[in-house]
Amino acid sequence: MLRSDQIMATVEMVQKENLDVRTVTMGINLLDCRQNTVEDTCKRVEEKIARYAGTFVETCEEVAVKYGIPVINKRISVTPAALVGAGFTKDEFILLAKSLDNAAENVGVDILGGFTAHVEKGMTASDREFMASVPEALAVTKRLCASINVGSSHKGINMDAVAMVGHTVKELAEQTAESGGFGAAKFVVFCNQPGDNPFMAGAIHGVEEADVVLNVGVSGPGVIARSLEKMINNVGRENLKLDDIAEEIKQITFRVTRCGELIGRQVSKELGIEFGVVDLSLAPTPKIGDSVGEILQILGVDDVGAPGSTAIVAMLNDAVKKGGIFASKAVGGLSGAFIPVMEDSVLADAVEKGALTIEKLEAMTCVCSVGLDMVPIPGDVDAATISAIIADEMAIGMVNNKTTAARLIPVPGKMAGEIVSFGGLFGKSPIMEVRNVNKSGRFIAWGGRIPAPIHSFKN
Amino acid sequence: MNSKQFVISVMSKDRPGIIADIATVIYHNNGDLADLNQSVLGGYFTMMLIAEFEQTVTEEILKEAFAKIESDTVLEAIIKEAVVDFEDADKALPGETYVVTAQGKNRKGLVKVLGDFFYGNRINVLDLVTVKRDEIYTMIFQVDLTPIVSMRELRDELADLAKNENLEVVLQHNDIYMATNEVGTAYGFNQKK
Repeated sequence: MLRSDQIMATVEMVQKENLDVRTVTMGINLLDCRQNTVEDTCKRVEEKIARYAGTFVETCEEVAVKYGIPVINKRISVTPAALVGAGFTKDEFILLAKSLDNAAENVGVDILGGFTAHVEKGMTASDREFMASVPEALAVTKRLCASINVGSSHKGINMDAVAMVGHTVKELAEQTAESGGFGAAKFVVFCNQPGDNPFMAGAIHGVEEADVVLNVGVSGPGVIARSLEKMINNVGRENLKLDDIAEEIKQITFRVTRCGELIGRQVSKELGIEFGVVDLSLAPTPKIGDSVGEILQILGVDDVGAPGSTAIVAMLNDAVKKGGIFASKAVGGLSGAFIPVMEDSVLADAVEKGALTIEKLEAMTCVCSVGLDMVPIPGDVDAATISAIIADEMAIGMVNNKTTAARLIPVPGKMAGEIVSFGGLFGKSPIMEVRNVNKSGRFIAWGGRIPAPIHSFKN
Repeated sequence: MNSKQFVISVMSKDRPGIIADIATVIYHNNGDLADLNQSVLGGYFTMMLIAEFEQTVTEEILKEAFAKIESDTVLEAIIKEAVVDFEDADKALPGETYVVTAQGKNRKGLVKVLGDFFYGNRINVLDLVTVKRDEIYTMIFQVDLTPIVSMRELRDELADLAKNENLEVVLQHNDIYMATNEVGTAYGFNQKK
């Protein structure tokens, strides 16, 4: 029997509240593409990606039309390139990067993730060559995203790698100075990087995964914001408590997740590819009404960054996970609320007002799913300070058994308060002030490792 | 075959005891109740049921029995002997089942606008609910789009219709509603409701 109330509620969610599937990401294992020469390896890489993803974009679009739910991004993640090209020199890794970029272009995908190394415990000579190749690899490609996993709860933090990535971030920004340092927006440093995350720039196809899988990233900050507003209007603020709001978020997330899984499984079926996971993240875009920051305001802080913001993010993150986990057969990836400053207009506004500082963002990342994401900082912040900010963020992930990441963008030639804009989904924001610059050099100079926390010894 | 089936449709102003009255008629005539559907719309109770009776029971006997129900409200019953295919009733919805919702300021002829559109496109309507609230008319059609070749063209035609008739029309796959509103439906969401 048709239930008109349920049907109209769903119509509202899809049509008026911007429900979409944020990303469908095809993960492809490239380890079997390794050949005797770099050229042959690159050829096999391009062939394999074309073989599996040749009709990927078209299929996603057909399924989106069939179900009337837009699929915003169609992307590819691959096996960490440092493993695919183990033993390559820096220049050879750059050839591999170009090959991955070509492969993405050939199948019509705008971003490919997985130019990645995992060095949380130590680095091989090949890993060092790989890390040295990252700035040029990203400069000579359009679609490639890179990431380095420098820490884990089980292995601790590789501080030699942390010191190196501070320079990588600076170099990436300086090489793309004419676009405000955009190169750094394609590079993420991780602790506990998941192998099934469909969201860029940190998507990879972990070695633990099947040959080819399809992961889906649902979103829906707009859907949650509109539902909460409606609930507050209908029921009355005075009649609601926070647990009622958490319950509403859970139920909305359930619906959003079910849609994502339905679409993902359909694409999977059409392509004959194994379905991986649904990532239950709230991923904002700069579009008005598609903001995680707005949810924080609805829940009671006038500006994001005001006291209470961390508690709200904790509740939001938890409710999203609880609603989504029941809705999906397989949940993975990052799964939680993203707070990327440049990509969320409400967060960017809070920076402009001076309400949101890096320190408060860092606190919020203790309870959300990712980390210091899309944070523009002054171009003159030194590499050691950047490494130290990254080390702090990695420590949060390591100790709390969760993923944390840092995507810092030192905008060349610009100071705190000046605006940087990358356009489109990458958004814009005032540059955030970094306090205590040039005070962490001795710490970063130690190198070595921060040992894994005591609670990691469970074996 | 020593039994026969009847399709019985009953309408009455809603009151307590209607179901008891109907069930009593069937029981006293030694009938075996099969599928039944009931709803209340605008204070009026309607029920459709299928029941099996012995060969000696006729439409007239049942009509008389329903007429004898004592009540302040009039209970009207339509009774037809029929051969019912229960297997057909249990069939899953077609894979291409969609829901079209159309909303607009109330005026005469709105259901006809959509009805004509579906008929013109050889689309079978599987279920229909309409609601009028505060001069806003909402129509929800569950339709089988199996004959449709191009979803893009159909969406475009519906968009034109919506524009011309000043309606908000949304076409969504039935699975989306099942996925977002029902717990326990596996993939795909095409089980018979």
